[in-house]
Amino acid sequence: MMIEALLGVTLLSALVVMLAPDRIAGKLAAGLSLLPVVGSVWMFVQFDGSGNALLEGGSLAFETMTHWITIGPYTLNWHVGIDGISMPLVVLSTVLTTLAITSAWTPIDERQSQFYALMLLMEASLLGVFTALDFFVWFVFWEFVLVPMYFLIGIWGGPRRKYAAIKFFVYTNVASLLMFIGFMALVFGLDVTTMDMPAIAQAIHAGQFGTTYGLGAETLKTVAFFAMFIGFAVKVPTVPLHTWLPDAHVQAPTPASVMLAGVLLKMGTYALLRFNFTMMPGIAQQYAVPIAALAVLSVIYGAMLALAQRDLKRIVAYSSVSSMGYVILGLVAYNYYGVGGATFQMVAHGLISGLMFMCVGVIYNTAHTRMVGDLSGIADKMPVTAAVFIAAAFGYMGLPLMAGFAGELFIFLGGFGADFAHAQLFTALAMFGIVIVAGYLLFAMQRVLFGPFAAETDYDIVPAALHDTVPIVALLLLVIVAGTVPNVFYGMIQDAVTPVVDAAASASAVVVSTGGVFL
Amino acid sequence: MAGALEFIPAIPLLPFASFLVALLAGYFAPKLLPKGGAIPGIVATAGSLVVSVWAFVTVSQGEYIAESIYTWVAAPNAFSLHFGVLVDPLAAMMLVIVSLVAFLVHVFSLGYMNDEGEGGLHRYYAGLGLFTFSMLAFVVADNLLMAFMFFELVGLCSYLLIGFHFRQQGPPSAAKKAFLVTRFGDYFFLIGVVAVFATFGTARFVATGEGAHAFPHMAEQALAAVGGEGTMPAHVAHFLDVVGMSAQQWFSVVGLLVLGGVIGKSAQFPLHTWLPDAMEGPTPVSALIHAATMVAAGVYLVARMYGFYALLPTVLAIIALVGGFTALFAATMGVVKDELKQVLAYSTISQYGYMMLGLGTGGYIAASFHLLTHAFFKALLFLGAGSVIIAMHHNENMWDMGGLRKKMPVTYYTFLSGSLALAGIVPFAGFWSKDEILYEALIYGAGDSPILLAAYAMGLLAVFFTGFYTFRMVVLTFHGEPRSDTAEDPHGVRWNVKFPLVVLGVLAATVGLVNMTPVAEATGLHIEFLHTWLAGPEGTAFSALGYEHYHHLLESFAGYHAADIAPFVPAAVSLALALGGAGLAWLLYSGPAPTKHTEKLGAARTLLYNNYYQDEYQVWLAKGVTLPLARGADTFDQGVIDGIVNAVSSISLFSGGRIRRIQDGIVSHYATMLTLGLVALLVVFGVTGGWF
Repeated sequence: MMIEALLGVTLLSALVVMLAPDRIAGKLAAGLSLLPVVGSVWMFVQFDGSGNALLEGGSLAFETMTHWITIGPYTLNWHVGIDGISMPLVVLSTVLTTLAITSAWTPIDERQSQFYALMLLMEASLLGVFTALDFFVWFVFWEFVLVPMYFLIGIWGGPRRKYAAIKFFVYTNVASLLMFIGFMALVFGLDVTTMDMPAIAQAIHAGQFGTTYGLGAETLKTVAFFAMFIGFAVKVPTVPLHTWLPDAHVQAPTPASVMLAGVLLKMGTYALLRFNFTMMPGIAQQYAVPIAALAVLSVIYGAMLALAQRDLKRIVAYSSVSSMGYVILGLVAYNYYGVGGATFQMVAHGLISGLMFMCVGVIYNTAHTRMVGDLSGIADKMPVTAAVFIAAAFGYMGLPLMAGFAGELFIFLGGFGADFAHAQLFTALAMFGIVIVAGYLLFAMQRVLFGPFAAETDYDIVPAALHDTVPIVALLLLVIVAGTVPNVFYGMIQDAVTPVVDAAASASAVVVSTGGVFL
Repeated sequence: MAGALEFIPAIPLLPFASFLVALLAGYFAPKLLPKGGAIPGIVATAGSLVVSVWAFVTVSQGEYIAESIYTWVAAPNAFSLHFGVLVDPLAAMMLVIVSLVAFLVHVFSLGYMNDEGEGGLHRYYAGLGLFTFSMLAFVVADNLLMAFMFFELVGLCSYLLIGFHFRQQGPPSAAKKAFLVTRFGDYFFLIGVVAVFATFGTARFVATGEGAHAFPHMAEQALAAVGGEGTMPAHVAHFLDVVGMSAQQWFSVVGLLVLGGVIGKSAQFPLHTWLPDAMEGPTPVSALIHAATMVAAGVYLVARMYGFYALLPTVLAIIALVGGFTALFAATMGVVKDELKQVLAYSTISQYGYMMLGLGTGGYIAASFHLLTHAFFKALLFLGAGSVIIAMHHNENMWDMGGLRKKMPVTYYTFLSGSLALAGIVPFAGFWSKDEILYEALIYGAGDSPILLAAYAMGLLAVFFTGFYTFRMVVLTFHGEPRSDTAEDPHGVRWNVKFPLVVLGVLAATVGLVNMTPVAEATGLHIEFLHTWLAGPEGTAFSALGYEHYHHLLESFAGYHAADIAPFVPAAVSLALALGGAGLAWLLYSGPAPTKHTEKLGAARTLLYNNYYQDEYQVWLAKGVTLPLARGADTFDQGVIDGIVNAVSSISLFSGGRIRRIQDGIVSHYATMLTLGLVALLVVFGVTGGWF
């Protein structure tokens, strides 16, 4: 019942904060959001699951499964549970929410109670996404995440918030529709009477296809795979489906950006892993080369776009496109380091991009501008923020002993040992991202933080308040811990991705080779 | 007495502790921090030095260590990733060098930073501590991945320290360039690391213990199997299949990839451009970067995995050529510089070129020897330059100096000792080591390798330029008459500056005596102590890291053969060239009012002064190619990709708007629509249902 308690407490907190006066809403929300943090950390410590949630031999932690409703021949269950892939993401969601809420105290100065209530509501939906194991339950949470984010951008956002909010909502919703149709087509083609994700995954692996609209099981799977792939790729986002992201980030208030980059994007890669790459490894391997090419394109093209930006927030937004490209590369590598590294990178990137957005937010709070050309030498005025910014930027560049390096290294190790054609070449190309990211972040730091002090703004640049500094320092420490002791959660990730890789190896016609045995 | 080796982790961790102390105390309780963090730093590096010496003594008794101490990533299904310590004679020697230089740099910083009233001292000492930690951890790394990780951290520290004066325009830019250029090299290095794992499944340098593997040894096995001896390790065979190359080809590719990182960090052509700019950092930092840490890291890495490189003749030839070319190329640029630290910067590039030349031509011991002697004399020269800079109130232009010999005798005589070593004048340290490199290059080149011979020729020619620029620097700075008011009345320096200078000055004069190859040949005495030190033990796993083994690999895999040439003639030739260069400088520049003779070189001088326009083309690559490409991508993204997205939404909005007109609320219109729809349906059903 732990998951239900977690969801319930979060929803209840949202309700309480909604009704609280604006004056105390921020502190109340931060305090209440500590409950799910404590809960999820307790779950993390107690975690006793093993294997993968969807595949045979998996044993879930904190699982509940009760009958919910029956529609026609289909039984829908309330099925939630956590495995080694979702556990770190659950903790990431709760921790980032608390830090994002704290970072909102300074910039959010109207309709506070609604703002913080929406943040908590979003946290609850995210927790649902990462724990639900019945497709219908999952889909409800998946769609519901959009609602608070839509309002967060649309009400508290920048000048073009309406455009950005609607673009975000419509773009991702259309993608969800495509994904939904794809998945439903697949389910109706199967001999199952449930929406239970493990049951569906195992039915696909066992080849229990009934009527497949005269298409044949393989064709149906291929069509479903790509409908879902495109649907999820929008969320990741993968080039060329990424253009909603910079608009949403630039317009969103910083705390919402933190959640968007830190957790919402991970929904896309999480779903790709859960659905496409776990359920249909054969198709994924068959199309490994174009998928890897797409990943490389995202990495390099996203980084090049970041290089051209002058708004610090846009720089970080585009660099997310780049970093999430690595995740796709890791997934398609289909070996232990590849898929494990992709999952690790979701968490690592969640921490680091959240940190970067918070740092930019802290600068924006006092300077009221984020343009690279407007600011110079502010390290002089805000030394602690600058120090954390530098550390965060190096983390983003993949400095060893910080989380990003571990994630990227695992993915590179996986990618280089992968079995698809020219895997080494694709990996080496994608790795060039680590040079470009250094280029734009070093450039931005040189201009904004260093040199003689100058600021083209009407505001005084003053050191950040303590409640703005504590979240970034805390997050930085988490980044360092995750990079120095990755085993803290990489062990459970490996445990959960192993069945995925093994299933892929047996699904593949190719003889298990380097990738399978060795990486 | 394995005691010392159990304390190896303390060697890097002590400076790390001083980093934490300087960082935290500097922020929370600056008043409690003695000397802005200098004292914790000095204590910590002194502690590292003591343990390093203890480890050195232990190693000299034949006790080595190679073991994992921390499992960074445990992977039950794949290879795990470890941190470990490897202390053999090479590492023990390097540990002593690094901790000694770091200790002296800390002491010197008291004079250069504290006494000069610099701000942000805790930030400075935190940086120094982290720098020393990273380098020492890199030195003891027992595998390539750990080496890479600390190699990168070394890069971070150089960024932080080069950009120490962040309020000015120049240092942040130089710091960015240093990190970016070396990151470009590290990109290849990281591919190399990943490739080593994918090929061999391990990145350890040496295999100790049951079932352990080391990648140089596996590469040797694989190549031997190609030659018909033994069997190739199964996964190596498989991976060679995957990449579709022969073992020799693929290992060469991997070796070159790792070499990318080496070329970046050790400032070899064409990635040397960051180093002269890095002079923007405080001078003690330059001493640390050039003598013992960052730049040394690259060469040390090649020496560390020499068991791999010794198998690959193509890569060795490239190392030798790059090294020989860089030695000459950088030395020519040093000839025309006006600023003291700039001359030293180019001399660093040139000297590391010599080390690469040594490694490439099979002179493993010679290169390690030069790494040792160079660490001392270059640290000395930088600290001496620092002393001069204090005296000159931070004016670095040599044309404003002159006559400092009488005003600052300690600095002068120690600096002279370092200069004689740098120029390679007998019996100072640099003579013995540089001469041995050239000798090795010559005998293996004459063996039957014209490429090595060409590399040798470049190295030999560079000796002349080295002698010239070194003594041009000495004469202009210390001799003649003062050419400015500050040179008339220089600022005095205290014991904290003089003490490191004296220690290093003595070392620069004497450390070469540990390996006097020509003398040993002449007298038949066994006084080549470094040869004995690096030869490696017999019959243990560590023999794979000894020179005896490398020599065997060079002969049987790389096809290196030594020609029989006595060491005297080459030594005499290089000494004559060095003396010639030094003498020419003396002739041209001594006297009360030297003239700028290099101006007479005309266009050649302009070319040299502008560093062969190397910076220009690299800046052009960044600003003239990459940035427009990025801007183009951005325009494409905004215009085409987002344009399509917006177009799709406009179409639906537009058509939505049109269709909305149907819903106009007029009942008769609805009735019409209803009727038409019914008719249409009937027609459709009629046609498909076969009613007609």
